[in-house]
Amino acid sequence: MHNTDPAAEPTPDDTVIHVARLAKEYRVFDKPEGLAASIRGLFHRTSRVVEAVKGVDLDVGRGEFVALLGPNGAGKTTLLKLLSGIITPTRGTATVLGHVPWERADDFRRRFALVMGQRNQLWWDLPAAESFRLHQEIYRIEPARFEKTRDELVDMLDVRRLILQPVRELSLGERMKLELVAALLHEPEVLFLDEPTIGLDVVAQHTIHEFLRDVQRRRRMTVMLTTHYMKDVAALCERVVVITRGDVLYDGSLAEIVDRFTSHKIVTLDFDEAPDRERIERFGFPCDFRGPQVILRIDRSRIADALPVILGSEGVRDVSVEDVPLEEIVAELFRADSRQAAAGASS
Amino acid sequence: MSDAAAMPAKPFQGLRTWWTMLRICLEERLVYRGDFALGTLMRFLPIVTQVFLWTAVFAATSRSDIAGYSRNDIVAYYLLTMLTRAFSSMPGLATGIARSVRDGSVKKFLIQPVDYVGFLLAARVAHKLVYYAVAAIPFALVFFLCRGYFPPPPDAVTIAAFLLSLVLSFLLGFFMEAALGMLGFWFMEVSSIVFGYMLVQYLLSGHMFPIDLLRTVPTGVAGVSLADVVHWLPFEYTAYFSSAVWLGKVQGRDLVAALAIEAGWVVVMAVACRIAWWRGTRRYSAFGG
Amino acid sequence: MTRYLAIFLTFARACLVRDMTFRANFILECVTSLGWMSMNLAFYLLVFTYTPEIGKGTGWSKEPFFAFVATGLIINSVVQAFFMPSAEELTEMVRTGGLDAVLVQPLDAQFLLSLHRVDFSSLANGCVGLGLLAWAVARMDHTPPPVAWLVYPLVVLCGIAILYGMVIMLAAATIHMGRNQSLYDFWFYLTNFSRYPAEIYAGPWGGPLRMLCTFVIPILLVVNVPARVIAQPFTGAAWGGVVAAVIAAIASLVVSRFVFLRALARYRSASS
Repeated sequence: MHNTDPAAEPTPDDTVIHVARLAKEYRVFDKPEGLAASIRGLFHRTSRVVEAVKGVDLDVGRGEFVALLGPNGAGKTTLLKLLSGIITPTRGTATVLGHVPWERADDFRRRFALVMGQRNQLWWDLPAAESFRLHQEIYRIEPARFEKTRDELVDMLDVRRLILQPVRELSLGERMKLELVAALLHEPEVLFLDEPTIGLDVVAQHTIHEFLRDVQRRRRMTVMLTTHYMKDVAALCERVVVITRGDVLYDGSLAEIVDRFTSHKIVTLDFDEAPDRERIERFGFPCDFRGPQVILRIDRSRIADALPVILGSEGVRDVSVEDVPLEEIVAELFRADSRQAAAGASS
Repeated sequence: MSDAAAMPAKPFQGLRTWWTMLRICLEERLVYRGDFALGTLMRFLPIVTQVFLWTAVFAATSRSDIAGYSRNDIVAYYLLTMLTRAFSSMPGLATGIARSVRDGSVKKFLIQPVDYVGFLLAARVAHKLVYYAVAAIPFALVFFLCRGYFPPPPDAVTIAAFLLSLVLSFLLGFFMEAALGMLGFWFMEVSSIVFGYMLVQYLLSGHMFPIDLLRTVPTGVAGVSLADVVHWLPFEYTAYFSSAVWLGKVQGRDLVAALAIEAGWVVVMAVACRIAWWRGTRRYSAFGG
Repeated sequence: MTRYLAIFLTFARACLVRDMTFRANFILECVTSLGWMSMNLAFYLLVFTYTPEIGKGTGWSKEPFFAFVATGLIINSVVQAFFMPSAEELTEMVRTGGLDAVLVQPLDAQFLLSLHRVDFSSLANGCVGLGLLAWAVARMDHTPPPVAWLVYPLVVLCGIAILYGMVIMLAAATIHMGRNQSLYDFWFYLTNFSRYPAEIYAGPWGGPLRMLCTFVIPILLVVNVPARVIAQPFTGAAWGGVVAAVIAAIASLVVSRFVFLRALARYRSASS
């Protein structure tokens, strides 16, 4: 539908999403306890302001696949909702595809899609094919184009046999696949995914990763994804934006996050039988004994010196050297931030 | 099971369990008290239309009374019916029981040493107590504003009979709906049965109009009106009866006889409820949930 | 416009498919609403065994009154079938955040939210209403003139529009409050005032109530104006009611649109 003319193909670095000092505050009303207090509450309610997103700056170019990470309540979903125009910000500006999202222009809404893993957007009691037809009407997709896109997407996910079955009879994974098909029917240029793999098994997760990567490359779609699964991030995103307490804590490549936030590597040693603890502890690294297995955390600067010594010790059968798992890095990142917040609050 | 075996049964143990259940339900219900007060006031709105409708009817007819009711009697009747129904109506009881059977949450009561019917009764009593505590204000307000429609208060015996009929109507409403919900053990979908019940209940309980109006409706049997038939059914005791007692429409031997019929229905429904529970749970554990 | 019609037909078709999948449930719902309706009709029949008329000299004797009831059935069944199910679902959508999915679609949100569910079983009452209307009008003392038959559908539509506006405003309140379990109750209490001829609201309390329900919340115009047109002699005075109904319908649509858009702008979205 769009970009069919090669001359109109935008330059690789053109900005699709531009966010400047975007903030969203909520007024939260305290619910008073007690009958007298509730009656008083009818006339005068005490409230406080919660800043869900505070002054975020962000630019995303065409064809980028960005992961939004952060602990629960960090403001990821609020940011996605702002960018899809569901809610209006308190301050700041944002443009997506040149439109201000919360003006909700039809022109804008035809060019992006939002998929929420925890919510069902297909008609529950009807086959997905019916929901697809409705999308065709709503997004004014011409019939030939609609059928071509639908068939293509359905075949990619191998769900052709499911689209004629009532949605309520499908498993969560199958439903999610059909949700994705529905969202991509109108060939959106921007796709927002809010926890798309939540609750799915490993196989379904993997299929969805492959599919998303494929479609995104083929269409040069700009994708923003929130998730709690680092597998999603590792499989899909080159760029990671970490948000905590409504603020951007880190914005950069996935590789860099590992470099920047970890100082050590994980070395796993397998012995023939449980080794003598004291002997291992003598190396001077924090270690964790698990029967015949020992896990050491070794500073990256010292790893080249330490490894030969360790390998030289008696009874080592196997060794592996790995980066700290992404989950751990991110968890540490969140924890450090909340400690900082607590310190800031108490001072 | 092991607890019961380990501890000697204390006296009043049953009573204490029951009291704990009552307290938990009270706490749960108190959370929603705000909705109650407003909801109760709103519930009087349909009566406003009824009052105007009957005023218009009395304006157009040459009679001074309809089936023994003056216009003021009719208004008082509707207001009193609201009060009776505050005792006898059990919103969501039957469907709640049927749902717990269908989704299997009733299993909890097969495992825990708690009597399901007793638990439900405690929950309802708690629900009602909280309801009266909050609804007393709007009820008092409306009754005070409408005091002109009421005849002078009846004698102490009538008042005692009235109060007794209210308590019985609560029990009747409870056991009738609970027994209905127990049908969920045998039928997957009880909503059609509940619907049929509600329809009959709506018409024959006196919620819409005083049952005395049915005196002129023949049944086909000479000398027996529809009102006579309804008199022997349980429905009118959940709305019409208490109001009629207060307004002095039922007196003397008739009053005693009617109270006996009501009490009889309470016993019948309570027994039906028990039997349904026993047989139902046996069937349930035999066939699996 | 044609796109919206096409989308609405898709909605309607989807709902019909769904209803036919759960046929037993559909039939049960038809029977339910027919059951309640016949209970009410039985009550009115009973009332008319004791009185020739509702209100002295108002002209609402048995047959005209049943024409009134029939008009109410027709109007309410349309509202119940097309607007109420969607509005009720909106409560749920606000609570669960389903509204988010609607807001990202390139369609007018009010259109989508007020028409995406159709409850065909509610039309059963309307069908009975049409039959009852024919029966009552045929037995009335006077025959409605052709002009009454021309104006009647127009004012019925006005009645529907007034109620539609009110549904939308209630729905907007839902968005604003974030929850509203008693939407349906409130609706019942509100429309309750429109169920009887306006003449019954007389006297020191009834007069002001009648004014309130005519000019402030025009609920009394909904059934009364069309019912008067068809069931009472069509005189010049009837035109006054017709004009009032048209104005009220337009006002209801405009005001509700405004209120709805405002509510959407303030929508906070449920946290996920």
